[in-house]
Amino acid sequence: MAFDYQTHLTTHDSGVPSVDFSQSREMAPYHDEPKAMYVGAPGKHGYLRLGFEIDPRGKSILRDLDRRAPLIVQQALYFDKGMPDMPCVYILSSGGPNVEGDRYQQDITLGPGAFAWVSTGAATKLAEMTHNYSGLRQHITLAENSYLEFMPEPVYPCRHTRFISDTDIVVHPTAALFYSEIFMGGRKYYGDGELFEYDILSVCSHARRPDGTPLFREKFIIDPARVNPRGLGIMGKYDVFANVIVLAPRSEADRIYAATTPYIDPEAKLACGITHLPNDAGLLFKVLGMEPGPVKKVVRDFLATFRREVKGRELPEEFPWR
Amino acid sequence: MSENITRIMRLLQFTDSTFPVGTFSFSNGLETAGFEKIVYDRQTLHDFAKAQALQAAFTDGVAAIAAHRAWLADDYEAATLADSTLILCKMNDEARQMLRRMGKKLAELGQHLFDSPMISRWLADIRADVTPGTYPVAQGLTFAAAGISERDLFCSHQYGVVNMVLSAALRCVRVSHYDTQQILYEMSSGAEALYDEVKDMRIDEMHAFFPELDIIASLHEKGNMRMFMN
Repeated sequence: MAFDYQTHLTTHDSGVPSVDFSQSREMAPYHDEPKAMYVGAPGKHGYLRLGFEIDPRGKSILRDLDRRAPLIVQQALYFDKGMPDMPCVYILSSGGPNVEGDRYQQDITLGPGAFAWVSTGAATKLAEMTHNYSGLRQHITLAENSYLEFMPEPVYPCRHTRFISDTDIVVHPTAALFYSEIFMGGRKYYGDGELFEYDILSVCSHARRPDGTPLFREKFIIDPARVNPRGLGIMGKYDVFANVIVLAPRSEADRIYAATTPYIDPEAKLACGITHLPNDAGLLFKVLGMEPGPVKKVVRDFLATFRREVKGRELPEEFPWR
Repeated sequence: MSENITRIMRLLQFTDSTFPVGTFSFSNGLETAGFEKIVYDRQTLHDFAKAQALQAAFTDGVAAIAAHRAWLADDYEAATLADSTLILCKMNDEARQMLRRMGKKLAELGQHLFDSPMISRWLADIRADVTPGTYPVAQGLTFAAAGISERDLFCSHQYGVVNMVLSAALRCVRVSHYDTQQILYEMSSGAEALYDEVKDMRIDEMHAFFPELDIIASLHEKGNMRMFMN
């Protein structure tokens, strides 16, 4: 079944790819036009293109950068003491939270042998919505022997948030990717609390080899009005969920798997699990907890294992303000 | 009337827990959920079984229906597409192993029971490692070959998932067979609405959000408990 959605208002060609989720069945109830700025209006259609390469001196650099408001990336910094030769980039948004009718696209490409760390400057808030939704499309491409740590701050949905994302990953068999996402149940301490009061989160990540061979496809739809996320087996008693995709050659993936112990800790109210992805693509690591801090710590510890097994380098202590 | 009786007899045969595809070997993580005191009584067992049924409906159920339609349309490529797509969407390693083992067993049984060129071709491709050979796709093909409807296929699929958990529960959770039968009876009433949701889904719309089940499965995968496979 196709769901065709066209805005009826004037759009401006900003020279960046359109972000279209009109074929996603789960968003069909939310296709009405926002009453304020229309879908695709300048400032509501963010675009970011980051290209990392090895320069002639052998240094990994941010060679290619294109950005459209509200997404911002400033210059790459080299602040990681464990990998001082690695460019580190923060993605920022000048618009504050994602609001209804926002569309974003982020394209991150690593050339042969390049390596980089990408995060966000702060948590991503998904605002309360009454019309339409916010959508994010990402393309991540890793050439041979490249390496990317992608670890953004948590995502906070508010009451009646509608959000959809699609992440398409193209990974060379020799490349390594650490891709994490942390989803809060909502603004836990806002008013009487807003846990799982959003309308819908639809998140899809899929990967393939450069020749097109598909590796895996994970899609989750959290629609609290349809299926209660508090159900046993879903979020249960937990409030925060982290999902980490590790794509790496089999030998590295096996070492990371062997070095990682899943557990359920009733006292700390933390749980994590790990499994192999289909088609020898890598690993999938999941964390459940009550607060973002401990969940971020578990994810960061897992990043330390990833870095150690893939690069043979140590992850420094997290900055105290993060 | 006699045709209906034959169909129902075949539906019962293929859904029976003694149907030799190995369902009795699996607990879908219940063994670990019991050990971790997540499932410990009738209510928690009910909730666990419900989560498993929902998870299966929006993945396995979609693939099974697609395969059933593929057999009726004599569209082999559609059947193998459902097969490969399901494996791409199964994130848990032991779950993939389970689906492939049971799928191959059912395909072998199907080839023995029916004269279906599509099932024979599919089994040959499983043996040649050309297609994964998942259980839901095997169910779709064999049920269609046996003249069982798509709706009845979905019933059998849901019954199989829930009954697998409940049968294991009698061996690793402190519940009685009165409890398990009560749960099965209650959950049956939800299958119709679930079918109505699933029947229009495309195979590229398969989805699942059950992180606590995933973590339980991971503990089983890396743990030492082995009364059941996952």
